[in-house]
Amino acid sequence: MHELAIAQSIVDVVEQRAHECQAARVKAVRIQIGEASGVATDSLTFSFAMLAGCSPILNGARLSVECVPHRARCRHCAQDFAVKDFVLRCPICAEWSTETISGTECQILEMEIE
Amino acid sequence: MPRVMIAQNILAPNEAIATEVRQALVKCQVRMLNIMSSPGAGKTTLLERTLARLREQVKIGVIEGDIETSADAARIEAAGAETVQINTRGACHLEAHMIRDALTELDLASLDLVIIENIGNLVCPAAWNLGEDLRVVVMSVAEGDDKPAKYPQMFAVAQVLIINKLDLLPHVDYDLEKVKRQVLAINPRLRLFEMSCRTGMGIEAWCAWLTTFSRGEC
Repeated sequence: MHELAIAQSIVDVVEQRAHECQAARVKAVRIQIGEASGVATDSLTFSFAMLAGCSPILNGARLSVECVPHRARCRHCAQDFAVKDFVLRCPICAEWSTETISGTECQILEMEIE
Repeated sequence: MPRVMIAQNILAPNEAIATEVRQALVKCQVRMLNIMSSPGAGKTTLLERTLARLREQVKIGVIEGDIETSADAARIEAAGAETVQINTRGACHLEAHMIRDALTELDLASLDLVIIENIGNLVCPAAWNLGEDLRVVVMSVAEGDDKPAKYPQMFAVAQVLIINKLDLLPHVDYDLEKVKRQVLAINPRLRLFEMSCRTGMGIEAWCAWLTTFSRGEC
């Protein structure tokens, strides 16, 4: 889902922050992508490498992706569970009253600079 | 090597504009729907039938999203609604800034409800908050009965699903009960409407619900 545009957003934010803290170079960027976010991390990594290569401050920077699993909490039995194929039924008590607690993240966490 | 914390949502710029849009709508007491589907599921025909039925009771403004042409806006204008056409010229989904700009061309003070007809695309629109109150997905029985499993995010983010073209059921391999089970497994709170915009079946129930929605009663 628009991994190139998302990679460009990451590059834009990181370049701006690097400029603000007067970094000479950015060596690595750590991001968090949820399993249920719709973002394909392989394509994102590929797009990021391509765009970083065109940026003097980001050239050669490593993109580290922390994948967040899709998990939900059951309101009935108060247990957390891993969501498979977006099916939100509690596998423990079979109730449907559940809410997603993780897996939709699309976040830039931090960067390593020099 | 020094680490600098950033902690920023990558889609934050769109979220900020979507919030602006929401605040503007709340101020004018106008509700907004975002209708999404694959190309050809029947969004524009649904709008035509809805406008024909509700024109007197609910004042509706429409934002039409297409990659090219104003053909859909022309149809909706002919159906009697104030309409703004957005042509994205290649973008496959609408974004909040497009809606913010389109809303300036509608007379919000005179409207009860704004309906966005999103670009025909069962993937990308699901991820872009437009400031809407409600997301409606339209799916036709001519699209195969495995689409909820294949495109779960779209069904997960919606509040309403319209299963359209039911008049075609005798002519297609489509297990309606399987589809309903699949979508409710992904989104147990999804409200379902079964419809044929062609024959009119199911339009009355949809319009009755939409009327109460536009009044803030549900």
